[in-house]
Amino acid sequence: MAQDLPPVGGYEPIQYKRNLPARGFRPSYYLAAMGIIMTYGLYRTGQGNREQNELAREKMWSRIHLIPMLQAEEDRDLVRRHWADKAREKELMGAELKVYHSDRFVRPTYSISPSSVTKE
Amino acid sequence: MSTRQPRFNQQVLLDTTPLPDSVPKVTEIGASSAPLLSASFFIGARCGPYNDDYMKCKEDAHGRGEIDCMKEGRKVTRCAASVLDDINKNCLEEFRKHWQCLENNNQQLWHCRRPEQLLNKCVFDKLGLEKKIPGAPENETPVHLRKRQIFSHNFSSIREDEPQT
Repeated sequence: MAQDLPPVGGYEPIQYKRNLPARGFRPSYYLAAMGIIMTYGLYRTGQGNREQNELAREKMWSRIHLIPMLQAEEDRDLVRRHWADKAREKELMGAELKVYHSDRFVRPTYSISPSSVTKE
Repeated sequence: MSTRQPRFNQQVLLDTTPLPDSVPKVTEIGASSAPLLSASFFIGARCGPYNDDYMKCKEDAHGRGEIDCMKEGRKVTRCAASVLDDINKNCLEEFRKHWQCLENNNQQLWHCRRPEQLLNKCVFDKLGLEKKIPGAPENETPVHLRKRQIFSHNFSSIREDEPQT
């Protein structure tokens, strides 16, 4: 009986490597593309941030210009109430009483409730 | 702790006692937020000294500013009222357009650059008041003069093809 022998010329080489085609571009291209996209995005973000700063400055100054006017109106109203309170107190108590041991203007915490409600 | 029961009431309590006659009368502004925002930089341009004076007075008064600085306060109010009055007389249409635009756009100035530039131009021509933002970087166009507003949902504040009136 003839012995099993390799074929003449030897066996064919065994394919042990995967033979799949590499899809897409070279990885370095993807890296470069990401770099470009990121750079552009950050550039636009930076522009936006700078504009936002300027808008914030504009808003801040528009309020700064208005604050004294609003404050003046508020203060006048407070003083009017304060003086009316003092006059009322003097009328009721006969003398001006000082509640606080200082000359500072103290914004009132309580307000008197009149017996009859004032119509506007 | 407290033995006194708090008393709450649901009515609006008004103290209508006027200021005594020794205090000169001043008419309050009475404008709502959008017109004030629209006019704020012009108020600042004309009334800056009065405003600074009042704030300085309040700071120096050490807690008595409310009573001691009423005179300065009246000046501030009169000056602001004069600015609003002048704008109303000279640039009513532009003013109205701008503050209505602000009302419709969440009171965000960058949505309303076009009406704003028209208003600025009118006010500058007729009253000589210019909008300037202090502290803005000098090598850039001030934000209110830029052609394109990044954050605006309106297409552009001033269109290139349009003649800038």
